[in-house]
Amino acid sequence: MIHYRNIHKSLDLPVLSGVDLQVENGEMFALFGPSGTGKSVLLKTTIGLITPDRGDVEIDGVSVYYGGKEALAAVRCKVGYVFQNAALFDSFNVFDNTAMGIPEKELKGLSRSETARRVWRALELVNLEPTEVMEKLPSELSGGMRKRVGIARAIVGRPKILLWDEPTTGLDPVNTAAVERLITRLSGELEVTSLLVTHDIEGGLDICDRVAMLDGGRLRFCGTPDEFRASADHVVQAFVDRAAAEAALDMIAQAND
Amino acid sequence: MKPATSPASFVLRPVSLWFAGLGRRARLTLAHAGSLGRLSWQIGVAVAQLRVSFRDVLNQFYIMGIQSLPIVLVTGSLAGIVTSQQGGYQMTSVVPTYVLGSLVVETVVLEMGPVLTAIVLVGRVGARITAELGTMVVSEQIDAYHSLGRDPVALLAAPRVLAGVIVMPLLVGIANFIGIIAGMVAAYVDVGLGYESFLYGARLFWHSWDLFYSFTKALVFGLAIPLISVHMGLLTRGGAEGVGRTTTQAVMFMTLTILILDALFPPLMLQ
Repeated sequence: MIHYRNIHKSLDLPVLSGVDLQVENGEMFALFGPSGTGKSVLLKTTIGLITPDRGDVEIDGVSVYYGGKEALAAVRCKVGYVFQNAALFDSFNVFDNTAMGIPEKELKGLSRSETARRVWRALELVNLEPTEVMEKLPSELSGGMRKRVGIARAIVGRPKILLWDEPTTGLDPVNTAAVERLITRLSGELEVTSLLVTHDIEGGLDICDRVAMLDGGRLRFCGTPDEFRASADHVVQAFVDRAAAEAALDMIAQAND
Repeated sequence: MKPATSPASFVLRPVSLWFAGLGRRARLTLAHAGSLGRLSWQIGVAVAQLRVSFRDVLNQFYIMGIQSLPIVLVTGSLAGIVTSQQGGYQMTSVVPTYVLGSLVVETVVLEMGPVLTAIVLVGRVGARITAELGTMVVSEQIDAYHSLGRDPVALLAAPRVLAGVIVMPLLVGIANFIGIIAGMVAAYVDVGLGYESFLYGARLFWHSWDLFYSFTKALVFGLAIPLISVHMGLLTRGGAEGVGRTTTQAVMFMTLTILILDALFPPLMLQ
């Protein structure tokens, strides 16, 4: 379980102002909100990539910010993070990039063949053909393939929690649908808790058990997708309408291309 | 009601703004110094705990040292040639020409070898490190290291700093040697000073301390360049524009640091 307690963060201007949120074990949870409202910042506070000015995050009862270095290291071993632009290491090939997802202590105890087997399996899970991509550098991959390698790196360490930072941003509709299917399948197969930050409202509502919306650094809504769609809150409604309009415009633009 | 622009506020406002600006800069400088000190400490701890990969150090050694060799050879040679030519021109019919040997050797070993090599490394190695790490910051690769429980200081910063400390004295040694040889040839061509006379002049005013001085300078420059470039790279913010801006600032900062350190050496070691 992930528990955000009263998270405050300012980056020149206030970004998060007292966010309280709880994501249950095994849940698929989507976080929506307009750009610049602090979704990615909140996600990064989960594993200490951004330290909140006030508040704490607890993962399975372990405090990320008051538990010391050991607790943070343990939390990071439990969590797989999928970055918006994959954040693959430029100088490593796909094999080494993926193998980096195995926790350091565990990696030291693995033979080369065991590591290769783990990497192979992770790449297969994200629908990549290991023999084709293993030796390639990130610069030799398409955007969609880079995202998949980023996902493989996040799951190869067998995490209990997966954090997805806008995994479909920059992808065409076909790849977006494929990644969404992948998120659903992986969350089920690996039995992980998934927290997803996305601009793709329809996609998020389709695949998640619960959703929340941030607005102006505060939690505006938290509930099921049906409750979100039926919300009487004018801010939520305006956001849903705008997102639907943007999605339609995107589809028209894609069709014209 | 008191007018907004009274004579007193007309004078005091620019003064207070000046002090506010000064305060901001002082705070920024102290923050930089603090984070540079923290980075140095973290690198020291990573090295002491043997968390630095030998393969990464070797890789950086190749990039910083072997790949810099051609440009170091060129600048070292030119430093010796120019010193010899200038010295020969100024000494003609005033002092015995064999003194040129001493002038070239001392100038190259004490000053030109270490400083020119450092300036070359600022452009070739320092700028590269800042841009490389800056790009890794803005593309979230550094965050990815953290998220995977890896320490970017041990994996990225420490190998570069260690390699810099090892490479720089070697490069300076090579630059000194080639500079002296080139200066000796130039002295023969320009003023007809024979090799034996050149070496006689060189030995006449030679102190072994000078070589120690040269290598100490090299060691300090070899620490400063990668340390500053790594520090600036890791501070990068703001996309491609931020990488460009930070790289420019890093080159300026490193060049100034080299020149300031160079000015501090004579009072500390040549008294």
